Order: sequence, then structure tokens, then C-alpha cells
Amino acid sequence: MASIARSALLKQATTASRMSSFATKPVVNNALRAAAFHTTSRRDLLPPLPQRVDGTINDPAPVPPTSPSHGSYHWTMDRLVAASLIPLTITPFAAGSLNPTLDAVLCATILIHSHTGFQNIIVDYIPKKRTPRARKIFTWGLNAATVVVGLALYEFETTDVGLTEAVKRVWTA
Amino acid sequence: MIAQRVGTTALRRVAGQPKTFFTANLARISATQTRQVATQKLTHDDATNLLAQQRLQRPVSPHLDIYDKKQTWFGGSIWQRFTGSALSGGLYAFGAAYLAAPLLGWHLESASIAAAFGALPFAVKGGLKFALAWPFAFHALNGVRHLVFDLGYGFAKRTVIKTGWYLWGASAVAGSYLAFFL
Repeated sequence: MASIARSALLKQATTASRMSSFATKPVVNNALRAAAFHTTSRRDLLPPLPQRVDGTINDPAPVPPTSPSHGSYHWTMDRLVAASLIPLTITPFAAGSLNPTLDAVLCATILIHSHTGFQNIIVDYIPKKRTPRARKIFTWGLNAATVVVGLALYEFETTDVGLTEAVKRVWTA
Repeated sequence: MIAQRVGTTALRRVAGQPKTFFTANLARISATQTRQVATQKLTHDDATNLLAQQRLQRPVSPHLDIYDKKQTWFGGSIWQRFTGSALSGGLYAFGAAYLAAPLLGWHLESASIAAAFGALPFAVKGGLKFALAWPFAFHALNGVRHLVFDLGYGFAKRTVIKTGWYLWGASAVAGSYLAFFL
């Protein structure tokens, strides 16, 4: 009885699907048979895009060439920059004195930290393989923005009172 | 009925009756059973299309809201990113505006900002300061927590959960202190 019901369901599912004739072979049949047992609704976060096969069907997934400067060295640098921000942020407020050089170093470190942080976000959420154009636009947009902000911080440091002193003045206003 | 099963009932019946002619040949009969295999010649394009179709059937990551809310929405990790991008986004927006200010006639020098800020009522001042101080406190404290993780400490599941909840309390206290008591 159960098998009769299942085969009817299977037939229905098969005719409803958009598969071409050769795709209704065992792999697809198994997926459809399994789908009949699913009780919860399917809500895919990112449904797969139309697939494209690079090279032949027997080629393995390409492994990108290893590069320490994009991998472990970059990771370590990120951590060193983040860790150096702790004393750089605390020192001027704890010491009560302001050193223009220290303030410039703080600004530069914050800029690098922000840039690599935004870079991590872009790399994580805009995959190169899936959306190559958006990836390129965002990467270069970020580079341009960082140059602009670097210029602005230079202006602020040289013509205004500097970041630490400005925060202090606004905070106690 | 499945093809391979054809004749098994008969064989079983025969096996139940010893000393018949067939039992001697039973091993040979079962050993020579054949299995029908259907193969199909595909062109290169057909094979590629088949693989592409099969890839569409692969499992996909489920939607975020099937997970425990405590982990997805109140995890320190994603809030590190939220607070960091809010602070850095603010800096980038201020930087661009500061550079464009002379062209647009805005006054974003520290003196005018401080004067404008000082003119605001106390509650607004406190609210704005907290809106800046809390993300800063959270990002700084959680940043230290993550640097400790990166050194390989505090990775026990209970420790991660516990320090995650401490983080919310500590950042609220530190943010309030920076906003209202400095």
C-alpha cells in the first residue's frame, strides 16, 4: 500500500519537475523520494544559481595557489594591528598629555584596522565566484574610500586639533 | 517484482527438500545470476548538462532563523562586526564629509562640532554619547576576548557562552560609564 502511494507521488513529482528526460535517472529519483518524507518547508537562504561546468565533468574543484601574504601573514598582521590599538587608545587618555606623533599613529592604525575589517566583510559576503562584478566594484570602492578618509584624517591632523583632542573636546562640551 | 528476486521462492522451496536433483546445482545457479546494467552513451554537452542538473539537487544551507536565536542574534562574533562597521562607517562618513565640507560650506571643524554638541540638551547629549560609547566598549572588550581566543585560550564551550553573556553586561556598564560619568 505504502509503495503504491509513494510511486504515485513520485510520478507526480517527476512530471511536475523541469528536468530534461535524461536527468530523471536514479540520483534525481532518490532526491524526489526523499523529498516526499520531508515535513518542514524548504526555505533556502541562497538557492543555487544556474550551474556551469568548467573544463570536463571529471575535473576536480580547483584549489587556489597558497599565498602566505594573503593567508597566515595577513591574519597575523590583522591581529597585531588590533592588539596595538589597545595601548594606542588608552595611552593618550590615561597619560592626559597629547603627542601629535602618537595621535597620527593612532589615526593610521585605526584606518588600517577599518580597511582590513571592511575587506573581510566584502570577502565573506560577496563571493568572487558567484558575483565577480560586485566583488570588484566593492573592493575598489573600499580602496577609494580608504584613500579619501586617509586624506581627510591627514587634513584633520594637520589643520585641526587631532583626533584625541577633538573627541575630548566634544565629549566634555 | 524486482528482477533479481525472480525464482528465489522456487529455489527456497527446492532448498527445503533435501536430496533432490536441484540442490546439487544450487550454488551454481545462484552464482550465475546476472544483473542487468543499462549504460548510456552521452555526448560531452549532455554529460555537462547532466552534471549541472545534478549539482542543482545538492543540499543548500538552511535559512538562518532555524538556528537558536541565542547563538545567531546574540553571539558576540556577529556583533563585533556590527559594532565595528558602525564605528568605522561613522569614521568614513565623517572623513568624506570633512573633506567635502569646504566645498559645500559645512562647518565640521572640531570647534564648531563641540559648540553645536554643547548646545544640545543633556538627555540628547547622553544618548548620542552612549550610541557611540556602547559600540566602542563592546568592540574593544570583545576584541580582547577574540584576541584571547586567537591565542588558543577560553575555547571550552561553557567558557565561550559564559564570557559571551558577561560581554553584554560589561559593555553596557562600560558604555554607560563613558557616556554619563566622564
